[in-house]
Amino acid sequence: MNSSPLNVATAANWPPEIGQFVTFKSMDTLKTGYVKLVQWGLVWRDIVLEDGRVIPEHKIIGCPETPVGWRNAQDVSQEEREAAEERLVTMSQAGLDPRDREQAFWAELNQYLAYTYLRFKDTGVENKDIDAMQNLREGRR
Amino acid sequence: MSEPNDEGKKQRAWKSLQDAGLVEIAMEEFPERISEAKRTVIGRLNELMQAQNRMEERQSLAHSLGALKNLETTLRSDVSSSRKK
Repeated sequence: MNSSPLNVATAANWPPEIGQFVTFKSMDTLKTGYVKLVQWGLVWRDIVLEDGRVIPEHKIIGCPETPVGWRNAQDVSQEEREAAEERLVTMSQAGLDPRDREQAFWAELNQYLAYTYLRFKDTGVENKDIDAMQNLREGRR
Repeated sequence: MSEPNDEGKKQRAWKSLQDAGLVEIAMEEFPERISEAKRTVIGRLNELMQAQNRMEERQSLAHSLGALKNLETTLRSDVSSSRKK
């Protein structure tokens, strides 16, 4: 294994627990808060703090350098994707300011765009390859 | 427990997102990023239009496209109004 003991320990302790005090990067500064909730988005976990700020897990100091348990884009159901799209549209139409970093709209929009990228450009899996896999599953050749 | 191939795939996904600048998007880049996503969805829809099947995926893509268009309109007007201030 290439993982250093530090990485192994960090990955084993990830994600942070509810109530844990965490430090995170925001632009060029460090901020802190207490974890209220850890929730899955379309790709990665979001850490919701007690004051309502939403922090992507990779911004938290101590997050393993490579993702732990990230979801595959193909594992997101149509219902879940459409629900995320509805929430985004509702938030934008409600006039929420997407410039508010660390708020739900910014966090969800960032994650949705990352997911959309992976959905179609999934690490070298071209659309034709996805078609071929689908055909095999459906018994066509 | 995840498979080694699965972990490799996730690491590639992470690298891919970092290279594409999608791990943390600057606010002023959101409109362009949304336009890129929209173009990708349209490209895939065009592919499916020739296939004459995959109705479920077409409907799903149409839903995504509608959401992206909506977001694009809202955020573009939001960014341009903030620049005028």
